[in-house]
Amino acid sequence: MVATLEKTGVGADQEIRPRRRTLVLDVITYTVLVVSSLLVLGPFLLSTMTSLKSSKQFAAEPATSFPSPLTADSYVGLIQGNYGFGRSILVTAVVSLVIVVGQTVFSVFAAYAFARLEFPGRDFLFWAYLSTLMVPGVVTMIPLYLLLSESGLRNTFWALVLPFVFGSPYAIFLLRQHFLSLPTDLISAARLDGAGHLRILWHVVVPLSKPVVSTLAVITAVTHWNSFLWPLIITSGDRWQVITVATANLQTQFNGNWTLVMAATTIAIVPLLALFVAFHKTIVSSLTIKGFN
Amino acid sequence: MKRSISTLVTVGLTLGLAACSGTGDGGDDNTVTFRIWSDDAVAAAYEQSFAEFTAQNPDITVQINQVPWANYWDKLRADLSGGGGDDIFWVNAPNYASYADNGNLVNISELLPDAVSDWEPSAVEKYTRDGSLWGVPQLIDGGKVLYYNKKLVSDAEVDLADLTWDPSNEQADTFLQALKKLTVDSAGRTADQPGFDPGAVTQYGFNAAWDFDAIVGNFIASNGGLYQDSGKYVFADDPASVDAIEYAVDLINDDHVAPSSADTNDNLDFSRDQFLQGKLAVFESGAYNLANISEGADFEWGITPIPAGPSGRIPVTNSIIAAGNSASENSEATQKVLDWIGSEEGSEPLGANGALIPAVTGAQQSYFDFWASKGVDATLFPAGVQNGVLKNDPVPGAQAASADLDSAFKEIFSGRVGDIQEALKEAQDNANEQISG
Repeated sequence: MVATLEKTGVGADQEIRPRRRTLVLDVITYTVLVVSSLLVLGPFLLSTMTSLKSSKQFAAEPATSFPSPLTADSYVGLIQGNYGFGRSILVTAVVSLVIVVGQTVFSVFAAYAFARLEFPGRDFLFWAYLSTLMVPGVVTMIPLYLLLSESGLRNTFWALVLPFVFGSPYAIFLLRQHFLSLPTDLISAARLDGAGHLRILWHVVVPLSKPVVSTLAVITAVTHWNSFLWPLIITSGDRWQVITVATANLQTQFNGNWTLVMAATTIAIVPLLALFVAFHKTIVSSLTIKGFN
Repeated sequence: MKRSISTLVTVGLTLGLAACSGTGDGGDDNTVTFRIWSDDAVAAAYEQSFAEFTAQNPDITVQINQVPWANYWDKLRADLSGGGGDDIFWVNAPNYASYADNGNLVNISELLPDAVSDWEPSAVEKYTRDGSLWGVPQLIDGGKVLYYNKKLVSDAEVDLADLTWDPSNEQADTFLQALKKLTVDSAGRTADQPGFDPGAVTQYGFNAAWDFDAIVGNFIASNGGLYQDSGKYVFADDPASVDAIEYAVDLINDDHVAPSSADTNDNLDFSRDQFLQGKLAVFESGAYNLANISEGADFEWGITPIPAGPSGRIPVTNSIIAAGNSASENSEATQKVLDWIGSEEGSEPLGANGALIPAVTGAQQSYFDFWASKGVDATLFPAGVQNGVLKNDPVPGAQAASADLDSAFKEIFSGRVGDIQEALKEAQDNANEQISG
């Protein structure tokens, strides 16, 4: 995040600070920043480096050594081999898209209802729903598995999507808090003009909530792109395999196959990076406090 | 912005609706699902085998599902308890007992009584419980061997044939004497010479470590001990086992002929990589590493039988069976596939790719031929079990105790434990409590 310094008003003379103090401060700041970025980016660098090594070099030399020769064998092997990796990328992309769209739409509806509609038991229902955030995912996994098995949905696309597509407590909570902060005057004005709830949502509420909704969409996309345990137990075989399961399948009982695995994880990161690059302005702007113009 | 959002919503819902036309598992009545843990080479071999099967039985197709090895047992338990799971699935010895007891597995003694004699007897015995065989043996490990670096061994003028080890008699312990000659420090001194510096070892003699299959189990068996018996752990009560374990621990911490447990405890590949780099002279392991070593070693290497202990050359052996799912909705087709994979014709592709030895004795020749063409006498592996194997009765519910047992042994192998016998007793009693509780 870049903090921009705005030039203060007319006639402001900028104080001239002694050069040495600024220099020392700058050096310290940059050192801290460089070290922190190395710590954060280090694992990604390591995994990309490993994916470009030959497996022989990986076995023979320390993990931090630079790949020599630089080879794309792992990527070629991944795509050409019978790992079903290409299909898993497609499945994961479609699953993430459907969940993001569904979760965003339904969470907006639910949050609006919890924030702006009056009905008996509204607050109790909201807090009860929110309290399910406290339940660890693994606890509900087996009952959910049995539920979907009995419905004959095991190993189908809907099994991957249904438990998540109707909203998440986290998203509804965040959106509800945001909707509560919107000025009631705007909504009352819209209602005076004869707008129903759907119109108010579409024309007033959602445009004002763009940063929050986009951020939630990105968070949901990343969460479900990376989800492993649920797809693992509910699907079987190549047809509905997701990226995380396909990557885990690259490791055998006696072989870590690390260069191949690193190639798979590097490929898996690329769509998320693209998503971030496309949406980074909205994410950043949602983190700053903006008043209404 | 509005238009792109609505487009996105439409696209998402359309994709969702389109995708729901996919059928669930086992949609086709004549598709038999076959589950293995992740292993690309074996999957390719099975595909070859099943292509032939479908050519002979055109109305049945077999679908191979791979599940990541690290999560195989969790997923199997979840699927079987939910009444699902694939029609045929791989199981191994440590894990099959509870499924057999619960009636999840098809009784092979009843289904294919005539085929049992075609299969490796040690595998058949291992998977016989309450008088019945609970799966079709697929792959066996044979025994263990010593892989050795020819140059390092000849430089040290050591002969690896007919070595014996003995925890109680130093004179008879020719194995340790050989290993000491193979361990060299940075000044060029070997471990049996005065002034040897254990902190500056550049070449290790052996890969002693906490690795039950490759090291510890073989020492226990060759000393006549037992690790588990009658459904519980007995390694601390059996003096032969305690001596064997102490011997292995001393190899690391007192004799310094093996790498420090700090390196080997959490990374089972460490010793193999050291061997491939030419820094380890003798590497005790099984057939599962044959392909790795053959591809990875750029020096001349050979294999030789493991050293003989006081009770002989007795290894640990592992095997894999393909069990039928008793809850399968496709039992007739499943039975045909089970029959096929237990036959010589069905198992031959498994051996031909050299990954592991087929359990169907008639199909084993393809495995030996493959490795003979690479100059390796792979008959040494099945020959290793001729004097007997470690009697390892399965312990139902072993998973409950495995984490604590693993960390207890790691601690013992680190050399920080003063009284090994006491530490073993504590670990054993703790484990027995966990599996019964």
